[in-house]
Amino acid sequence: MEESQEPIIEFKGVSKTYITGTHALRDVNVTINRGEFVFVVGASGAGKSTFMKLIMREEKANAGEIIVNHFHLNRMPKKQIPMLRRTMGIVFQDFRLIPNMTVFDNVAFAMHVTGAGNRTIRKEVSKALSRVGLGNKARSKPLELSGGEQQRVGLARALVNHPDLIIADEPTGNVDPNMSYEIVGLLSEINRRGTTILMVTHDHNLVRDFHHRVIMLEDGQIVADNAGGAIV
Amino acid sequence: MKLRSLRYLTKEGLKNIWANRLMSLASIGVLVACMTLIGLAILLTANVNLAMRNLETQNVIMAYFNDRNSVLYDNATLSSDATASAQSGDVSAESGVSSENASASSSTSSDAQSATSSQFDRDNIPEDSYLIHNEEEARAVCDEIAKLDNVNSVEFISRDQALAEMEGTIDDDVLASLLNDENGNPMSHGARITMTDLSRFDETVAQIENVTGVYKVVSREDTAQQITMIKNGIGSAGIWIIAILLVIALVIVSNTIRVTMYNRKLEISIMKAVGATNWFIRFPFIIEGVALGLLSALISEGVVYFCYRVAVESFKSSPEFGGGIIRFSEMAWQLLGIFAAIGVLAGAVGSLIMISKYLRKEGSEFRAL
Repeated sequence: MEESQEPIIEFKGVSKTYITGTHALRDVNVTINRGEFVFVVGASGAGKSTFMKLIMREEKANAGEIIVNHFHLNRMPKKQIPMLRRTMGIVFQDFRLIPNMTVFDNVAFAMHVTGAGNRTIRKEVSKALSRVGLGNKARSKPLELSGGEQQRVGLARALVNHPDLIIADEPTGNVDPNMSYEIVGLLSEINRRGTTILMVTHDHNLVRDFHHRVIMLEDGQIVADNAGGAIV
Repeated sequence: MKLRSLRYLTKEGLKNIWANRLMSLASIGVLVACMTLIGLAILLTANVNLAMRNLETQNVIMAYFNDRNSVLYDNATLSSDATASAQSGDVSAESGVSSENASASSSTSSDAQSATSSQFDRDNIPEDSYLIHNEEEARAVCDEIAKLDNVNSVEFISRDQALAEMEGTIDDDVLASLLNDENGNPMSHGARITMTDLSRFDETVAQIENVTGVYKVVSREDTAQQITMIKNGIGSAGIWIIAILLVIALVIVSNTIRVTMYNRKLEISIMKAVGATNWFIRFPFIIEGVALGLLSALISEGVVYFCYRVAVESFKSSPEFGGGIIRFSEMAWQLLGIFAAIGVLAGAVGSLIMISKYLRKEGSEFRAL
């Protein structure tokens, strides 16, 4: 699918300093349009995590303006945070699956939060599991699956509510290299259907082999961004 | 929140009881212990109150009416100590109080009686110097006393009945000398009165004294005061015991929920990530707390029933307790209601406090693992 020119994430002069005095982000300006696939790279402590936390409104910026999916994060009341998060799917490095729930229930869990009915849940969960190739594992428990399969369950959970944006925080960090390619391949497939993907990674091979936009952070600032093919 | 979400969350909350069965069992155990103590404290208080009420109704006040003898013997006391002590002894026998206390009692004289106090002729007491001339008029005074709001019972005691009751309680020689008196039976008509509420003792005695036809009221004010004091003391001790146990119950449920919450940190963090509201996260915990509370209430009812039955069985043989024990069935629903209220309150408030605190601090964000 073609990228649109409508921004889904906008950072305007954003800075974040923690109580400890650490300057995590300094005057960051960046726009990510709907339908883009963006890798966020950088060394540890570069500000990647803070960048993601600000998008998910886990942290609040000290200065500047952040707009995500039409939500003005700095002006938004706290009770709106769940609504913001329902427009995004989050994939964690450590999978975050509930061990005593089946694969199906782990994915369905995200739909119960939105108040979806049982019939819709059954239909959508089956669809999401099929999309990640786990249609036959619905009744398995997470610990019966491989690392790659577990991450695909996490991906199905992020997908099931049809979010506009998927935030993947080092989704390949705990899986073998082959599985990493498979997961990024899946994310690329999801992106082709119109979902914006923002993925943090340390894996340069993945960044090199999948030709997507790359934002590089260093010392709290964007030092490289190949938006539209250009290096900024 | 949608109805189907409520259904889902209720189911989740109930499932959690089983999922965390060890903790659930522990909190049910301690809650049952607390509720049992509360229940037994309530039953004990109710029984002591019943015993006090019985004592209250047995704390008899004697009212003597303004008949011929009241004028004759009250004035006679001015000259005859023997007759006066006989009268006082009679009062004591009737009311079950000592003569010292009887002498401390208050008295009221009617206008008619006071008219005779200056000039007294034993043989020729004018009829208009007293108000009660026959039994019918005396009974009418009883009816008037019965109308007073704090009066529990009024029993008319005729002169003859009073004399009959005095036999055996007074020295035979004194009795003989009284009966040999040329005026015959020295007793007055009177009434045996019990009160409903002893804390209004003084006020009620004053009201009885003001009833037309009442000559003198003999009472045990000190006993009344003691009973009121004991009743109040037991009441406030009961409230304190119940309050302390309630706080303990609340702390226990809070801690159980806290442990459950930490066990489910992962779940909470995922809920946060997928956009659950704080109420969505809290609700299953509250359901869990309330369900634990209600379950404990039911078990406590059974335990209290068993303990009370054992206690009643062992006391039943003792004559002091024979007629004055409240039956469990009389208070069963009330106790169940109290237990359920404690359970729901401790469960809901305990969970709410803990989960809100957790969400405000450690669990405020979904990455907090």
